[in-house]
Amino acid sequence: MKKKIQLTLNGKSTSIEVPNHRLLLDLLRDEIGLTGTKEGCGTGDCGACTVYLNGKPVNSCLVLSGELDGADIVTIEGLKIGPELHPVQKAFIQDGGAQCGYCTPGMLMMSKALLDENPNPTEEEIRYALSGNLCRCTGYAKIIQAVQDAAVMIRNKHVQ
Amino acid sequence: MAELTVIGKPVTRVDVNEKVTGEAIYGYDLVLPNMLYGKTLFSLKAHARIKNINTEKAKKLPGVVTVVTAEDAPWTHGESIKDKPFLAQGKVRYIGEPVAAVAAEDEDIAQAAVKLIEVEYEDLPVYTEPEEACKPGCVAIHEDFAKYRKVDFIVGSHLPNVAEHFKLRTGDVEIGFKQSDLVVEERYFVPIIQHAAMEPHSAHAQFDKESGRLTIWVANDAPFRALHEITESLNMPKEKIRFINPLQGGGFGSKGGLKVEPIAVALAFHTNGRPVRVKFNREETFISTLTRHEAVVYCKSGVKKDGTLMAREMTIYWGAGAYAEKSPTVCIRGSLPAPGPYRIPHVKVDGYAVYTNKPVAGSYRGYGIPQGAWACEQQMDEIAKRLGMDPVEIRMKNIFVEGDVSYWGERLHAVGLKETLIKATEAVDWGKATEAPRPGVKIGKGFACIQKPTRSPTTSNAGVMVNSKGEVTVLAGTVEIGQGCNTILSQVAAEELKVPMEKVFMHPLDTDIIPYDASTTSSRSTYHMGNAVRRAAIHARQQITEAAGPMLEANVQDLDFGDGKVFLKDQPQMALPIGEVVKRKLGINGIVRGDGSYTYEIGKDLDLETGHSDHASAFYMYATQAAEVAVDEESGRVRLLRMSAAHDVGKAINPLNCVAQIEGGVAMGIGSALHEEMVVDKTGKVRNPSFLDYHLVTSLDVPKMIPIIVECPEPEGPYGAKGLGEPGLAPTPAAIGNAVADALGVRVYDLPLKPENVYWAIQNKRKKDAA
Ligand code: FES
Ligand code: FES
Repeated sequence: MKKKIQLTLNGKSTSIEVPNHRLLLDLLRDEIGLTGTKEGCGTGDCGACTVYLNGKPVNSCLVLSGELDGADIVTIEGLKIGPELHPVQKAFIQDGGAQCGYCTPGMLMMSKALLDENPNPTEEEIRYALSGNLCRCTGYAKIIQAVQDAAVMIRNKHVQ
Repeated sequence: MAELTVIGKPVTRVDVNEKVTGEAIYGYDLVLPNMLYGKTLFSLKAHARIKNINTEKAKKLPGVVTVVTAEDAPWTHGESIKDKPFLAQGKVRYIGEPVAAVAAEDEDIAQAAVKLIEVEYEDLPVYTEPEEACKPGCVAIHEDFAKYRKVDFIVGSHLPNVAEHFKLRTGDVEIGFKQSDLVVEERYFVPIIQHAAMEPHSAHAQFDKESGRLTIWVANDAPFRALHEITESLNMPKEKIRFINPLQGGGFGSKGGLKVEPIAVALAFHTNGRPVRVKFNREETFISTLTRHEAVVYCKSGVKKDGTLMAREMTIYWGAGAYAEKSPTVCIRGSLPAPGPYRIPHVKVDGYAVYTNKPVAGSYRGYGIPQGAWACEQQMDEIAKRLGMDPVEIRMKNIFVEGDVSYWGERLHAVGLKETLIKATEAVDWGKATEAPRPGVKIGKGFACIQKPTRSPTTSNAGVMVNSKGEVTVLAGTVEIGQGCNTILSQVAAEELKVPMEKVFMHPLDTDIIPYDASTTSSRSTYHMGNAVRRAAIHARQQITEAAGPMLEANVQDLDFGDGKVFLKDQPQMALPIGEVVKRKLGINGIVRGDGSYTYEIGKDLDLETGHSDHASAFYMYATQAAEVAVDEESGRVRLLRMSAAHDVGKAINPLNCVAQIEGGVAMGIGSALHEEMVVDKTGKVRNPSFLDYHLVTSLDVPKMIPIIVECPEPEGPYGAKGLGEPGLAPTPAAIGNAVADALGVRVYDLPLKPENVYWAIQNKRKKDAA
């Protein structure tokens, strides 16, 4: 059964006709063509598909499109601040937080969500916040470093 | 050597911008115009004859374009042994084997059609244990093994279900054991694990009838090997087949060879020219791609009282799974150095790659080294304990040093092992006890050493093009799988042409355009492709120098390069940008192209009877890792406190990238040490094909890591570099195993060191002590 839904996607209002059972992940990737959001498992166990739904990070592979009418969605494609990279993106570049990069969009979305809530997290808090985002390449060391550095960048900006 | 400008510097990855913005397109993301969607029917039986396949209902479903079975794709493939059908032929050999496939207008229809295919099976005996499957009297999983096409190092065996038997014979182990004061013997086990690259597997294929060309888009780490295999299977000329590599979301060995590719190809011949995409989801990736070899390792060692190793005998059963894939070479290159990086006068190794009715094992980061090290390095500690020696001392007495002749007959050079041993153990304060936080928790330290050869002999070719803007494009067949090769190779080109990194671009990988490279495996790329790119850049530089001579009215030997310019050595203001030289020589559209090739020429195949070779590998990688653990005696839970990893890389072309490779490798090694295992039951079914049930390391599982770079230069390597990617996880489980044994006074012989394995080891010791 197809249904017409109204969305705000990365700040722009869109309407789209979609089968109720289509997962948000597939809606984004296959129907809208935003492939920055990655599929690692499709079962809610890896975090590669993390997007913001009404301001909160969710695994988009667990959300059905039928529930989305009126929703506000932000994907990795909407993480930049205007033309500028978000501090988490800058820090991942600088610290080597991405290797193959497949987990990276999900990691970045989750990292920003953490820093929005807690601008000065401890290493333990970072490890805990990212524990649902799997990375097979980095061993997490550089990712944790990058989140710490991003926190500093954000705090310094606020001080200025 | 002139001063290096960019080699040895922690340069930022060249491919990272597109990765943090989500713009990077991976194989799994790729959408082709007018594409069809493929789905696969997998075998539900581990070993059975196919009596009948009925595809009629599936074919009639509206939106289905084609349904294919072995009748439509009667081909087989395999690197060493051509034993694997594109789609099951007459029988199935594991649960997860592709039996049929559908291409349809959308994914939902394709999935519905797969469910309509009916298959009738007749059960055959199922073998899940490699040690059992090769016992005399077992039914052959491959009845036609003798008839398969094979490469010439496949020696066969009188035992059933053995795909390859590797023999190493040095001295006489019986004499060695007689001369020993202590003989230690044990059985070790390493279970099946999976690469679990975060990007699942997929392939796209299109067959154009008019040109007769087949194009395959796939994130495959050895496109030239894949091209060769498809060519041989289909009996098509090489020129008719093209591989294009989209970006790859990790591989670790899983994305070489052919897995999804044959299914996509089989479908592509029946879609009237439309491209077809076949994606495996995570569960399908678990059961139907590749795994790491399980191994049963028997290890027996003889030593003198003073710790001198006299003899080592090993028998290794490598579980190949249902098809040979890389098993013959894993068996050879994993068994050869299994006795460890030590001087041992008498050595005997028998490695058997054994077919079972389990998912197919293939190459996996480390290529057989972790399995051998799990046995050998734990046994080294056991010997030290029984002799009352320090584990460092016994290693120091026996480890390979510069100029040693190895037990396979090769004189070794550039051996940085000792330095890795000293640094890794120092980093965890070896010899100093750490206080336990509370009663019931035991603290222990352990370490392990490894050596790793690389696939030899092999070839890499490269092109380096310079245009009139002074931009440099590198053509190299090395696949960026996350390891950072695009950055390393850009650094090499930038160094030789003395241009800034921003001026260097990596050409996308397309076998129609890019010159041949053996594979992105075996930690061979920095060394082989690094040399090839360096030669190509030097070749381009020569051409630019020769052109610039007359332009600057100078002799070519008086010219030098720097800052994107060519200039007179003693009058640096007399300079031309290299792009300007290209423009004046060849016009605004002109391109200077340098070519370079590197083959490790003296690489010799091993002698099949003795396993000996005086040049078995282009270079050897050496490493030591050390762990400190806390073990809860009540639960058996092992917690890592810290982990050091010292790796001899020859020369760190990019220290940041080296550290990243070490950390990633160690984390993978920790997973394989503490909790990873693919559980396959007696019926051949994988019980945990999901990330919920297959426990990968998370950010909470990784302790403080101490990566240490050791540089013992390899004279043939570019700037002295060796390789690094694979050894990162190789000593990890053995190091942790030794730390656990140190903490508890009891050893665990079966991986992983999950709480129940550790718990029962403790309980058994208590029982023994009480008796
Ligand atoms: S794809 Fe959604 S959590 Fe893995
Ligand atoms: S960078 Fe490859 S999975 Fe994280």
